[in-house]
Amino acid sequence: MSEYAIEMLNITKEFPGIRANDNITLRLRKGEILALLGENGAGKSTLMSILFGLYQADSGKILVNGKEVHIKDPNDANKYGIGMDHQHFKLVEVFTVLENIILGCETTKFGFLQLKEAREKVVALSKKYGLYVDPDALVEDITVGMQQRTEILRMLYKNNDILIFDEPTAVLTPQEIDELMKIMKELAKDGKSILFISHKLNEIMKVADRCTILRKGKYIDTVDIKDVDPEKLSELMVGRKINLVSNKKPAEPKETVLEVKDLVVKDKIHGINAVNHASLKVRAGEIVCIAGIDGNGQHEFINAVTGLMPIESGHVILNGEDISHKSIRYKNTHGMSHIPEDRHKHGLVLDYSLEQNMVLQRYFEDEFQTVGFIKDNDVRGYANRLIEQYDVRSGQGPITISRTMSGGNQQKAIIARELDRKHNLLIAVQPTRGLDVGAIEYIHNQIIKSRDSGAGVLLVSFELEEVMNLSDRILVMHNGEIVGEFDPKKTDIQELGLYMAGAKRQNMGETKESAV
Amino acid sequence: MNTKNKNMKSIAALDSIIASLVCILGGLLVGTVVLLLLSIVYPSIPASEAIRGIQIVLAGPLSSGNVRSILFNLGDMLLETTPLMMTGLSVAIAFKTGLFNIGAPGQYLMGAMSSLLIALSFPKPNNAGSALLIWLLAFLSGAVLGALWGAIPGLLKAVFNINEVIVCIMTNWIAANIVSWVFYSTGDRFINTAEVKTQFIRKTFTNNIETAKFGLDKVFPGSNIDISIFITIIIAIIIYIILEKTTFGYELKACGYNRNASKYAGMSEKRNIVYSMAIAGALAGIGSSLWFLNGQNEFLWNTYLSLPSEGFNGIPCALLASNNPIGVIFTSIFLRWIERGGFNLSGFTDYNEYVSALIIAVIIYFSGFSKYIKDKLSKSRTEKIIKEGNE
Repeated sequence: MSEYAIEMLNITKEFPGIRANDNITLRLRKGEILALLGENGAGKSTLMSILFGLYQADSGKILVNGKEVHIKDPNDANKYGIGMDHQHFKLVEVFTVLENIILGCETTKFGFLQLKEAREKVVALSKKYGLYVDPDALVEDITVGMQQRTEILRMLYKNNDILIFDEPTAVLTPQEIDELMKIMKELAKDGKSILFISHKLNEIMKVADRCTILRKGKYIDTVDIKDVDPEKLSELMVGRKINLVSNKKPAEPKETVLEVKDLVVKDKIHGINAVNHASLKVRAGEIVCIAGIDGNGQHEFINAVTGLMPIESGHVILNGEDISHKSIRYKNTHGMSHIPEDRHKHGLVLDYSLEQNMVLQRYFEDEFQTVGFIKDNDVRGYANRLIEQYDVRSGQGPITISRTMSGGNQQKAIIARELDRKHNLLIAVQPTRGLDVGAIEYIHNQIIKSRDSGAGVLLVSFELEEVMNLSDRILVMHNGEIVGEFDPKKTDIQELGLYMAGAKRQNMGETKESAV
Repeated sequence: MNTKNKNMKSIAALDSIIASLVCILGGLLVGTVVLLLLSIVYPSIPASEAIRGIQIVLAGPLSSGNVRSILFNLGDMLLETTPLMMTGLSVAIAFKTGLFNIGAPGQYLMGAMSSLLIALSFPKPNNAGSALLIWLLAFLSGAVLGALWGAIPGLLKAVFNINEVIVCIMTNWIAANIVSWVFYSTGDRFINTAEVKTQFIRKTFTNNIETAKFGLDKVFPGSNIDISIFITIIIAIIIYIILEKTTFGYELKACGYNRNASKYAGMSEKRNIVYSMAIAGALAGIGSSLWFLNGQNEFLWNTYLSLPSEGFNGIPCALLASNNPIGVIFTSIFLRWIERGGFNLSGFTDYNEYVSALIIAVIIYFSGFSKYIKDKLSKSRTEKIIKEGNE
């Protein structure tokens, strides 16, 4: 038997005009965790798509357990025991979690689904690996985090031996990530071979045995993790030295730009208070971060403040004016910029061109229209300026259809649009989700720049590193309530974790006063 | 960069056109096969007749025989295109906003009713000016009532999130019954007792209210053609401009593509749904106004058991055009073109009128594949662009 579970030898894949994979070789040993590291567009996704049968390589061969195979489609991949946890979840929104997990390998008796056995197996798996899901919830109703767990469970449910994790930690909390790392190690110990695609260096350092690095479609190196440090890895990945910790000046908070008083928001499905009497203040020139585990009311809080969800009670005050029941358009034109969590659902009209998306909240302004006719040239000029200033890259410039852009550049486009609009409050939710180190560094700097130019920033992030790095003040949200306020210099991830999990809470009545 | 930009836009347009042509070709091929099969089943029809048959269908009005009948058929074809183009536009603009307007038949009926009621209510006008005024009033009332009828499913969708397809189907039949009831209860006031066909209304020209011809009846002698075909083409161009060049069109399309993002951007997606359906209804209403204000076309008022096919045929018309208003001009003409060919098929060959209806249906059916083919075409291209974008 071969030492390797998978060997991809000299894989080359060319798309018209670009060589996505140029003579790449990747070897996954049995029972090891091999990290695949590279920036967006380095060719990771293409390589994995080839392994998973979504694309065919132009040249090169694939060996599974030493035997050459031809993987024509994902069913073939499944046959060889290859399972994939996709970065963009492949879930059926109107199915329940359980139905999604068994999709494709349903047990039936006389043509009827045998959900009971499947449920037992899923519950057992979910218990064993601490992947909490509600099997009967519809996927469209659950949080991104739970969708991710559903994807992982699906792979485990199918008894795959070779597991591809495509950026699985993007939406998990630190505790959940630790948990997942543990699971991955256990799985490897069980003899499963794991390909771990990531650009989070600390996770790779923690969990992987070896790491293969790609850059711009080319194979760079494969290193033993014990021989390298994160700085070395990031240098290999980007091809230059990179500054992982943002250098920012201390905040100089001025007047309050956003005040949320006693906000209550009802949960759409269960009718309970998703946000339960939460209050906070954001002042000009500071970055306030709401930390917390996904699903503790952050979505509802932000949606209520921005106007995407109705407010049950309480007040939202922007620049001294009560905007609780004002329209979204009013908020947009009175100083609120919003980088939404889901760039595909809210941030962009994907079938619109880049330039059309650049004026999504401004097309009606005199700058871009006369008597109802859009001034194409002015829109083009404006888009070109933003594209240049914020370095948004795309195939065809302003007329590129947004759907065809990479995730990082889509996010850059949203950030360009939101930062360029006149604003003194910037709300950013998970602004770096799924992006690579280079893009994260860039986006962090842009947010800090916005703060330094006098805007108040309200940031929601599930990644504690980002929270610690970026914020001037940290609020922890648990169960729809603000349970603690911290100075990032005087706290650490462990302490925050306790508050996030609900194990501790401060008396917010007092801290609220002291924060003003 | 600039040449590249132009290329991409024209390529996207090309995709749509290729997709439509492939559909048409597929429909014709299957149509030929049907004709061949029939010639096998009926030994009296030689196989060569099948080829001749499909040629006749394809040639449309041009297969009508001598020059005189060709011109006559062309003229009538252009007249018949009018209502189809409008219902096609009606369906297309709703699709652009992400709505399926299957309510065009009802909107069409309401438009017909109101424009006929107004046109026939006035006595014979004594000068051309007042005739034109009454014509305009009748025409606009058709648009307005159509718009109101379209706005009902739009409102229910926007306010209560009730599926517009269900409401549209209901409003279709409600319209059919209202129309039947109105004309039934007005007795012989509008119904020419000299008419043999008792359930039809015609002859608006008895009081001189009819659409101007501007000499077109001389160009196409014998046909009933009037200027309505130009009116509809102008409306199609206006709709195109609204969708592509105005802030209003920008909003409508944004809502169609991504309702969440348009809400995020501060657009009122509910209002846009109502507007879109109202415009769709107005277009269908205009279609029937123009058709019946021609003065020669009969209106089956006793319609409570059937819905006008023009309304439903707007759907393949819009699909075949990939919902492009300019495309609708061509697809509606094309559909009427082969329909004329179908008439000639039963006239000049051994195939009967059922066969020609079948062939037309096959071609229309195939138009449903245009989106599929377009997606296939653009998919490979999109993948390429993604890769380039990531560079």
